Amino acid sequence: MSWIPFKIGQPKKQIVPKTVERDFEREYGKLQQLEEQTKKLQKDMKKSTDADVAMSKSAVKISSDLLSNPLCEQDPNFLTMVTALDTAMKRMDSFNQEKVNQIQKTVIEPLKKFSSVFPSLNMAVKRREQTLQDYKRLQSKVEKYEEKEKTGPILAKLHQAREELRPVKEDFEAKNKQLLEEMPKFYSSRIDYFEPSFESLIRAQVVYYTEMHKIFGDLTEQIDEPGLTDEQREKENEAKLSELRALSIVADD
Amino acid sequence: MASSSPDERPAKETPGAECPIYEEIISLDRVEQNQRLAVEELINTEASYVHTLELCVCDIRAHLRQKQLPDIDLEGLFSNIDDVLCVSKRFLKGLEATVSQEPEQLLLISALFQEFKEEMESVYKVYCACYEQALLLVESYKKDPRLQQEIVETLNTTVPHTGASDLSFFLVMPVQRVTKYPLLLQKILENTSARDNAYSALQSAASAMLEINANINEYKRRKEVATKYSKVEHLTLRERLGRLNKHSIAKKTTRLSRLFMHEAGIVPKTEDKEFDHLEEKFQFLESGVTELKENVTSYLNNLQVFLLSKPQECELEMEGAAQQYRRLAGTLHRTIFPEFRRRLDRLVYQPLCSLSETLKGPQQLIRKRLDKLLDYEEIEEKKSETGNVTYDEEATMNTYLAINTLLVSELPTFNQVAMQWLGQILRSLVALQRDLAKQVLQEAEIELAQLPHSHVPLPTFWKMVKDTLSQSGAQLNSFCQKFETVMPSPVVQPLSPAEERRVLSLVNKHGPEKLYQVTSNISGSRDLDLTLQRGQIVALLHEMDTKGNTNRWLVDAGGHRGYVLAGKLQPYHLVQSQKPRMQMLAPDAGAERRRHSYTLPETPKPQVLITPPAFQVVAGYAFTARSPHEVSLQAGQPLTVLEPHDKKGSKEWSLVEVNGQRGYVPSSYLMMVPTQEVGGWSLPAWSLPTQQT
Repeated sequence: MSWIPFKIGQPKKQIVPKTVERDFEREYGKLQQLEEQTKKLQKDMKKSTDADVAMSKSAVKISSDLLSNPLCEQDPNFLTMVTALDTAMKRMDSFNQEKVNQIQKTVIEPLKKFSSVFPSLNMAVKRREQTLQDYKRLQSKVEKYEEKEKTGPILAKLHQAREELRPVKEDFEAKNKQLLEEMPKFYSSRIDYFEPSFESLIRAQVVYYTEMHKIFGDLTEQIDEPGLTDEQREKENEAKLSELRALSIVADD
Repeated sequence: MASSSPDERPAKETPGAECPIYEEIISLDRVEQNQRLAVEELINTEASYVHTLELCVCDIRAHLRQKQLPDIDLEGLFSNIDDVLCVSKRFLKGLEATVSQEPEQLLLISALFQEFKEEMESVYKVYCACYEQALLLVESYKKDPRLQQEIVETLNTTVPHTGASDLSFFLVMPVQRVTKYPLLLQKILENTSARDNAYSALQSAASAMLEINANINEYKRRKEVATKYSKVEHLTLRERLGRLNKHSIAKKTTRLSRLFMHEAGIVPKTEDKEFDHLEEKFQFLESGVTELKENVTSYLNNLQVFLLSKPQECELEMEGAAQQYRRLAGTLHRTIFPEFRRRLDRLVYQPLCSLSETLKGPQQLIRKRLDKLLDYEEIEEKKSETGNVTYDEEATMNTYLAINTLLVSELPTFNQVAMQWLGQILRSLVALQRDLAKQVLQEAEIELAQLPHSHVPLPTFWKMVKDTLSQSGAQLNSFCQKFETVMPSPVVQPLSPAEERRVLSLVNKHGPEKLYQVTSNISGSRDLDLTLQRGQIVALLHEMDTKGNTNRWLVDAGGHRGYVLAGKLQPYHLVQSQKPRMQMLAPDAGAERRRHSYTLPETPKPQVLITPPAFQVVAGYAFTARSPHEVSLQAGQPLTVLEPHDKKGSKEWSLVEVNGQRGYVPSSYLMMVPTQEVGGWSLPAWSLPTQQT
């Protein structure tokens, strides 16, 4: 409860009943947590999509650098393979961009929008707190006068103090009530709000990976041997390495 | 010599053979015998050779291995002697099989040699190439008394009958044997008549054996040259400087000047189109592989970063689609992508690294070749001028030739195999991408099936999402507004008597419409700025400062004058009568006043504003009237001030009306008290219209 500023001098009786305070803190606490999590989610989503884009771009670089190597001019088979690879990578990159744009629109933007409510909420809570402070102060002043001897000036002061207190108390109660009503509403609104975002995320992934499966599936059929296991591929690599190492011009170690 | 009859001569020379035919027959016999002996020699020596090899491998080496001496390099000593033994054993078996096949033995033997020649070449060339190194090892072990002792002890234990005290005795055997084959065959050939049907077969076999020996030597030489020049030396600066001497500097200078002459066209470059073509292809390969390795590294790094950000770990305390997403993303991060990365590393990155390593040797050799070429050209020039060269120069020229030949003969294979390997690696990359997509899709489709709108076709789905989000957006806006339209708190601070007096004096000086109240503490930072507390009342003097800045107002704080920020002030109203001149005010819609730049209306009547508490004047103390002009007061009694001064203008007395009576009372007995506004701001509105005043 660190947001409650330190009160100088405790009032004799609890101005605001404990249950009300507890309720308020619980609801606000949930919202504070939600604020933190939505901010974190937004940040992580952004990082994730940025990394995704970077990966896709570096994949394109792999194929396009190969394509620009003069080896392609000399070896027509190599050229065919690298061209097909390059086409595949470029297509995947554009699908990736579509996916990222979709995520931007359906996940990241909504997250931002949701987060933008929190400053207003926090401000409103602060105002309530300020009012509470004033309320408590004025309340204790009234009590102080109530305990004193009832002389003329004292009575005048008491009257004045009571006059001052009334509007502040009503203000506080109004603010408190409003927040206690609206905060839970806002909190539970997140469910309906974010449901489409998460559905979109999954849908977008399915779209992307369907394309990826098709494009690379076709490409493997075009250029690769079907049904090679990892062990077989490793063996092939070992074989090539041995072949090269058998040559004298290849240094040992 | 007297001519004798043909019958006499033969009789004198040989006892029983009287004619040349006999001689022929006898010498034929001898020849046949020699041939047989030669064949036997071939087979017998092979048998004993194999036996010695077996001793070497099974006894000597095994014994040494058992001793587990870390300083003895068994690999280096014995290299591929197992292979040699294996081939020789089979060869021996083949030879022994020919013994029973009398008439065709020679043919069979020739055929056997032809059958084994390739295997022998590949096995012996490796052994012979390593033999020099093995000898060096033996020599170095001799210098170490402890090791030498161990070796001698082993030899004495395993092969005492040979009396050998030196490993080299055994190690040299394969080297000797392979050179013996042509000699043995030659011997058989000598004792075979040219008319024999096996003759040509034997000839072919012998020349085949000569050929493999030549190849073995060639291979050995190349290996030596390659080993010498293909290693990239990683020397420190110090070591490099240490290598500099008159000779090396001279050498490098000569090369450099020659290189300049090449580039300047002063001297023709030795063009070797074949080599240049090979080198060019090699360089393309090299740059391609290096680039690919870099690109794959950067791809892997990006993958790593991707795996580090885990949006699915945020906890929004939601069920539904969020759970699906969580599960999907979790599986991707924990299982599928790490697996992809592993395979990528094993099948693409590591092979690329190995391929990249193999490129270094040839690259180095190509550089050295160029150096040696420059030397070669120098010497060629000198040769054409002087006609002779030194021994060293000859050697240098040969080095160049050796490197050149080596490269020209091996680069084509290298380039081809490297290209094939590159292709393999790329195909693996593609297969990995396909597998990744398949795995992700499997998982995603499971989760998708559980979503409520999975059956909705895609364009409809996106439209749906868009519409829903804009609706939700509107709802969020309304939340925002709700939170923002909480009414601002009144600035609650009672005025002390001194304050009240000050306020009154300000009112007298400037008029009640010029009163403003400070809404939050001001600390003046510039020269003429005031420092004021929240709640203080000031009178506005000027709505602008000397520089024309309308945000900075000149105010009178009752005593001091100075500048304050306009935003920290709000209008302050003074109620001078009890009459409800304060109208019922509609509360201000909108946020707390931040900046206001309106002017007060002409009349002191309040407009639609945030109103501070209205003030009521009451009697602070009881007062007893002592003259008919005065009026009595009771403490706390509300009254109305008619004139805040007396007939003479003195402010010490005020004309008031109280309880229907009028009269003068001491001004200091009067107090200002806030009263509640009728209706107004204290009841905040709920859903407010958005227009601001």
